[in-house]
Amino acid sequence: MKTSSKIFTALILIFLFAPIVILLVFSFNASKSLSVMSGGSLYWYRELFRDAETLGAVRNTLVLAISAALISTVMGTAAAVGIHRLRSKAVRLGYEQVTNIPMTNPDIITGISLMLMFVFVGRLFGASTSLNFWTMLIAHITFCLPYVILQVLPKLQQMDNSLSEAAMDLGCTPMQAFFRVEIPEIMPGVVTGLIMAFTLSLDDFVISYFTSGNGFETLPIRIYNMTKKTVTPKMYALSTIIFFTILALLIMSNLIDTSAPGVEKPLRRERTASQKKRLRVAGAIGGVLAAGMIAVMIIGAPDHPVLNVYNWGEYISDGSEDSFNTIRGFEQWYKENYGSEVEVNYTTFASNEDMYSKISSGAVSYDVIIPSDYMIARMREEGMLLPLNFDNIPNYENIGENFRGLYYDPDDEYTVPYTYSFVGVIWDAERVDEEDTGDWDLMWNEKYKGDILQFNNSRDAFATAQYKLGLDVNDTDPESWRRALEELKRQQPLVKSYVMDEIYNMMESGEAAVASYYAGDYFTMLDAEADNVDLRFYVPERTNYFIDAMCIPSCCQQKELAEAFINYMLEEEPAIANAEYICYGCPNRVVYESEEYAEDMGEEAMEILYPNLDVFAENFNRFAYRNLDAATLSLVNSLWEELKIN
Amino acid sequence: MKKEHNALRAVQRAVLAPYGVWALLFIVVPLLFVAYYAFTDSNFAFTTDNITRFFTAKSQVSTDAGGTREVYTYLLIFWRSLKLAIISTVICLLMGYPTAYILSRASERVQKILITLIMIPMWMNFLIRTYAWMTILQDTGILNRLLAAVGLGPVHVIGTETAVVIGMVYDYFPYMILPIYSVMAKLDMKLVEAAKDLGCNGWNVMRRVIFPLSLPGVISGVTMVLIPSISTFYISQKLGNGKFYLIGDAIEGQYVANNLHFAAAIAFILMIVLLVCMALMQRYANRKAVA
Repeated sequence: MKTSSKIFTALILIFLFAPIVILLVFSFNASKSLSVMSGGSLYWYRELFRDAETLGAVRNTLVLAISAALISTVMGTAAAVGIHRLRSKAVRLGYEQVTNIPMTNPDIITGISLMLMFVFVGRLFGASTSLNFWTMLIAHITFCLPYVILQVLPKLQQMDNSLSEAAMDLGCTPMQAFFRVEIPEIMPGVVTGLIMAFTLSLDDFVISYFTSGNGFETLPIRIYNMTKKTVTPKMYALSTIIFFTILALLIMSNLIDTSAPGVEKPLRRERTASQKKRLRVAGAIGGVLAAGMIAVMIIGAPDHPVLNVYNWGEYISDGSEDSFNTIRGFEQWYKENYGSEVEVNYTTFASNEDMYSKISSGAVSYDVIIPSDYMIARMREEGMLLPLNFDNIPNYENIGENFRGLYYDPDDEYTVPYTYSFVGVIWDAERVDEEDTGDWDLMWNEKYKGDILQFNNSRDAFATAQYKLGLDVNDTDPESWRRALEELKRQQPLVKSYVMDEIYNMMESGEAAVASYYAGDYFTMLDAEADNVDLRFYVPERTNYFIDAMCIPSCCQQKELAEAFINYMLEEEPAIANAEYICYGCPNRVVYESEEYAEDMGEEAMEILYPNLDVFAENFNRFAYRNLDAATLSLVNSLWEELKIN
Repeated sequence: MKKEHNALRAVQRAVLAPYGVWALLFIVVPLLFVAYYAFTDSNFAFTTDNITRFFTAKSQVSTDAGGTREVYTYLLIFWRSLKLAIISTVICLLMGYPTAYILSRASERVQKILITLIMIPMWMNFLIRTYAWMTILQDTGILNRLLAAVGLGPVHVIGTETAVVIGMVYDYFPYMILPIYSVMAKLDMKLVEAAKDLGCNGWNVMRRVIFPLSLPGVISGVTMVLIPSISTFYISQKLGNGKFYLIGDAIEGQYVANNLHFAAAIAFILMIVLLVCMALMQRYANRKAVA
């Protein structure tokens, strides 16, 4: 290689590996931050191995990728052979064009098109859920197939037909001729196709996003749903492990066999006996593995009941960071109290709207969901919730009086409050003058141009402007929303970024100085702030108060079990663990009256989260979001787009 | 004996059947559903409102001069997505073509190692890789700290067009290299030597011999980068500081707002435009190949 070539290649490799190095380094971070390195530790690796949900998602991702890769390789190879032997030019062209479609269509269209079809067909047959492992598998096979076919087809075209014909003339049966002569010829293409299919399936996010359903969460989906909370170095630790596993596998395969797939060498027709044996063994292992995995998916459905729980990402104490594992805790508690096994299938969503879309389309079915107030009101109005049988939820008496009879469920029939919080302003005392703080004006202050973070979701962003202007956040008058939009447009030049989970890194590292976010999340940032950052928090007089509550949707299959789960969540141990993990306010008396809890949270947190609970109900009913009618929702959506294209 | 040949070929044609059924059910029919949703309202009654809305919806945007100006919302979003996707594709091509060329000329051992190295990042999760770029490109990020250490900077990258383009180039770069490389690796070097013997200089060999021969690889590389970058929504959200609203964001936004019919309409229009683009490109390639 020439020196200039070497330099060029080196630069390309630096570009490709820069982010990989970053995530290797930060996976050893002692703190939770992804931007401030505060000493090395193996903490996040320990965490990762305790996180059953994430490991489950890894397992799901692998099951899906291996099944999709193997099935699409077999079907795709057969298809390529068939296409190659087609006699009619027109039919052949037709097949090639159709095969091209998933490759020339953006992922998002493939994903949406399959989702629309699955949901439509599911509804037609009255299925309780239309999206599940199988729909995802179908989607993955579909987008992998063309890549396999396009790898195999050229090999077939290069192949000399007279070889297999000669074999048959010499006494081979057609099947022998195919498997002994033709298959080895096209093998390099098949292997490359298999690897490509596996890689594409493993890394796919967009198509999975639209076709994922009940209880089958892959890693990319899980990471995406962490957007309300934060992505921790745990995910970097996982990537690091994946990286070294692949590296080890590659090095090993290179040591064993020096012939790489795809790179053809002349005169390699003669495989040694040991090579052949190895290929056969590898093939057998792969086949058994895939068959086993699929068998597990089919018959692996446990004989004991499964409870499907749908919650926000990172919104339950899951055993990480030495916390109590609520989900496993429930399974154990249920066995002790009811004497039978139960399994919780826990999945996450990224927003109320995301959850609503999935449930209302019939794509998924859950037994317990934890949406926010305004979404509960909407679902109740649309008959999507079941009234609870409070005889099965004796612990309901633990819920404070102030959290009962609120607008979304005035007669306390459908909900059990889980958490509450409010939106406040986080500011960096190193860069912001204290006299500028106190109300919403700080978010519009020219002095802090380029240091302000605004919500990247329409309802919360509009609300900051509406509270500032003294408008009603639930107004149905378009003029009122337009005024809020003008205020947001006025703020736009000052805004550094519209954020959700990115806020953590940006505030912790001093990348920004002013942001509005949910009260409890401020404490998470406080724990990870850099040395030159001094975060503070205040709650403007007019701001959003919200409650997330446990409900049972009408698609529920196990109502009594769901009620047992809700009851358990109100017990002292899980309730305190959840409250400490989530850091939001807890409406459960056994939590906020517990001295141990108050001590763990610290004085500042208790003051902020539990101001004067007597006025909570009043503030809540006055400032909380209500469900907007369809016309207003559509308007807000258009206005948001108008803001974002500026 | 001839009978056996025919038997084999007939069986081989028969194994095409499962794929034929699959392709019909899961490739063709879903696209019909996109069209069906695009042309119906929420009660599944026929309407062209969704399509009309795409072409006529207007918004006020502020101009540099401080005034405001009326624009077509979705046409503007579409144009911006197309622009960023084209820039990313061109950069990928400018970086990928020489890489593929160098790769195809290296020794077999080096080729294998380099291909592996290029593939490895694709095995790490796409969302996580994008997240890592945030850490690098932030104003207080790794890049600026490195620059400050050598007395340069700071540069403001995150939240700009540059950051979004970097993200796209990074994520889709391997898709450009691999097809070009696979064509170049098979290139008949005798043709290059012949051209040189006949008096072609290096540049002319590249322009008149190597490039035209590698065109199929270039076309498929361009397709494989352009298509995903035009419809991405995660990269623009994370590296664009939430300030870039691209066509993928619009589709996802409508999906999350439970507005499936309008989401389908945007997807439908995007699909038609891309089909036309691909057809034109294929035609150009064919004409080049004939010439």
